[in-house]
Amino acid sequence: MAKKLARKTALATGVNRENGGHNTSASAMSVRLMVRDLTKTFPGVRALDSVAIEIATGEVHALLGENGAGKSTLGKIVGGVYLRDGGIIELDGIALTLTDEAQAGKLGIAIVHQEGSLVRQLSIADNIFAGRQPTGFLGRVDQKIINARSTKLLAQLGSDLDPKRRVAELSSAQMQIVEIAKALSQDLRVLILDEPTAALTLTETEKLFDVIRRLKATGVSIIYVSHRLAEIFQVCDRVTVLKDGRVTGVRDVQKTTTDELIRLMVGRDVHFMRDTSKRKYGGIALAIDSLEALPFVRKASFDVKAGEILCLAGLVGSGRSETCETIFGIRKQSAGSVWVDGELVAFAGPWDAMAAGVGMVPEDRKEAGLFLTQDIARNISVTVLGKVSNNGLIDENLSEKLAENFIKELRIATPSAKRVVGDLSGGNQQKVLIAKWLAMEPKVLIVDEPTRGVDVGARSEIYRLLRELAGKGMALIVVSSDLPEVLTLADRIVVMADGRTVGEIAGEGATEEAVLKLATRFTSTSNTATIGAAA
Amino acid sequence: MTDFQTPALPSFPLRALRFFANSREVTLLGLIIILSVTMTLVYPNNFPTPSNISAVLLNAAQNGILVSGMMLLMIAGAFDLSIGSTLALAGVWSGIAAARYGFSPIAAIFVGIAIGAVAGFINGYIVTRIKINPLIATLATLSIFRGFTYVTGGTGINPITDDFKAYGQSVFFGLQTPFWVMIFVVVIAAWLVAKTRFFRQYYFIGGNPKAAKLSGIQVDRLVMIAFIIMGTLAGLTGVLQAARLNSAMVTIGVNVELGVITATVLGGASLKGGEGSVIGAVLGVLFIALVNNAMIINSVGIFWQGIVVGSVLLLAVSLDAYKGATR
Repeated sequence: MAKKLARKTALATGVNRENGGHNTSASAMSVRLMVRDLTKTFPGVRALDSVAIEIATGEVHALLGENGAGKSTLGKIVGGVYLRDGGIIELDGIALTLTDEAQAGKLGIAIVHQEGSLVRQLSIADNIFAGRQPTGFLGRVDQKIINARSTKLLAQLGSDLDPKRRVAELSSAQMQIVEIAKALSQDLRVLILDEPTAALTLTETEKLFDVIRRLKATGVSIIYVSHRLAEIFQVCDRVTVLKDGRVTGVRDVQKTTTDELIRLMVGRDVHFMRDTSKRKYGGIALAIDSLEALPFVRKASFDVKAGEILCLAGLVGSGRSETCETIFGIRKQSAGSVWVDGELVAFAGPWDAMAAGVGMVPEDRKEAGLFLTQDIARNISVTVLGKVSNNGLIDENLSEKLAENFIKELRIATPSAKRVVGDLSGGNQQKVLIAKWLAMEPKVLIVDEPTRGVDVGARSEIYRLLRELAGKGMALIVVSSDLPEVLTLADRIVVMADGRTVGEIAGEGATEEAVLKLATRFTSTSNTATIGAAA
Repeated sequence: MTDFQTPALPSFPLRALRFFANSREVTLLGLIIILSVTMTLVYPNNFPTPSNISAVLLNAAQNGILVSGMMLLMIAGAFDLSIGSTLALAGVWSGIAAARYGFSPIAAIFVGIAIGAVAGFINGYIVTRIKINPLIATLATLSIFRGFTYVTGGTGINPITDDFKAYGQSVFFGLQTPFWVMIFVVVIAAWLVAKTRFFRQYYFIGGNPKAAKLSGIQVDRLVMIAFIIMGTLAGLTGVLQAARLNSAMVTIGVNVELGVITATVLGGASLKGGEGSVIGAVLGVLFIALVNNAMIINSVGIFWQGIVVGSVLLLAVSLDAYKGATR
């Protein structure tokens, strides 16, 4: 009881200090949304533990935290997606009982989440007014009116999309705009954006920020759920940091630093250091020359030596992943050549690549990497079914022993190898995915986005692991959109743009600016300022 | 939240209980035993007689063979609706081969099985090469194969030949050939699917086809093989039926696919793939056969059978959905 009270007081002072330090903005505006003592438990996990937040009218408020910190859960409860176990939510001073998303929408709270809520087969206008179309005689939908009103709503967001277009034709950024327009079509008071930039390119991200600023100007309060620090500094006013379902701090964005926020997120300072010890490289393990797989890969050439970490950098859509997929035999190569250990190869499929000692950890862990309903042992053994069987018969003991070795070696947090992979945290899932590829003992390992959706702690472990592998003589090709990650890991950086390899930089002493200069040389639409920020 | 406590191992009775609730095979076996014991106690003169038991097992033979193939397909995330038509086509043509063209029984049987394999290949080709989903693909071939049966089979062949008949009607230990073939197929299939490296790949394909492909599994080739196995088993079933009845009927096997898929799902398969065992599917067949038998002995109208079997299926699947939701 006393402890709870203490926490409340601490929070209150945190908020007060905020108000005190920022008289002009926070205190002048009224409190739009207040959440107190919010609690939510999922089976076996306390997702939120008496959480409190306070958001002013027209404020952009970030919820920041590692994966599993509870930030998305908090957003989803306020948006009516999940029901709370306990606590109070007040909107403009009135306590709310939220039952579902539609009801929250009527109250003026809308959530735009990653899964999306649009019907792809219908037009933009139909989606914006889904279920609430103004009707005429015998319930006839007045298409003219909803088209006109949609055009207006989209214009408010600075978009000139034709409302008659089908949603299926839109890019994910455009769909997001439509989702926001849909929210705006009702009396919008609070907009929740859950990881809004996850699927966006840098230019699209900048456009979204523009939309956020427009909404803010009209007095809409925005909850911005993200783990991307740079974005928070660009677009948010205040930030609430969560860790393990509790609020660890509320800060004014103007008055905090990246280091402080990271400390609040992880409870300690984290710095990723470059590995200064020099590794010895062997011969060229894999080389590609003028590789082409239209339309994504136009002319890619590079090589990687045994014991070397080669990073492929570039903007989203520059053809990095596609190049790797072509090497691995998933995409048909239309021209050029691939050599492994000096031998010309042409893989018909991943099975061929694996037979030649090439492995690939795909970018999308859940879609393309893991078998979420199966246990760790099975997930790891899939690449080496031959190794865990005798005379064609699977030996479950061998498969479990193999898994247990990796659990120990990669420090996968699990009670046993029989644990279903879908139940593990993101970082541990990523380790299982890597283990699955280490099991086949590749000579060349391609790793596409090694730390996507992985929290800071697991991240440094994965870096350590990749370096160890290189130290043992494995050739690594790492694709990453995270520039600090590239600069931390790379022995050598190859930059791609528009399906071509456009330059090479030594990893030692490389800077973000140097990489970005190369990456943007051939793309006129994006500018360096937005790119630097997104990294 | 990123790390978690190791849950304490529950006590033995709790573990046993969980094992029962989680294993569809054990649940089904329990239901089968309860049903058999109850029937034996209530109808001691009608149920536990050799003639009744052998009738039940013989009726289960056809679907027992078919579920072995269907379970493999469903583990891989696919299924085949055309099996009823395939088995009719195979049965009719083995009958025609024996009666009209004077093929030896063995050769005629081979003709039927080969037709089944070709039918399976066609299904596999449409699904894996033309990339049409199994529902539409096999719905189309269901109708095409049945059409071929009518067009080429006319009114059917009745009787076939006495030599041919022997392969369906011979009795060993009080049970007819189809039952023994079923046992043979089921034991082999159960062992292969559960133990071998080759068939283990199907669980990965059903669990996540994209990840399976990226893990070096030749997904298309394996799905093709599963369809061929299914077609071959449908062919074998058709030939056995023709031999058992000594008649090649063009209308045989209509709606067989529904009963087979029902038993497979009851036996633990998921339409999403990645789950199930051949033993479970066969227990599903046995359970449905017993329910039907119990209702016949009870003189419950034949129309009630569908209602009961359908309800049991819904109950089993709802239980899974509930377990899935609470996880």
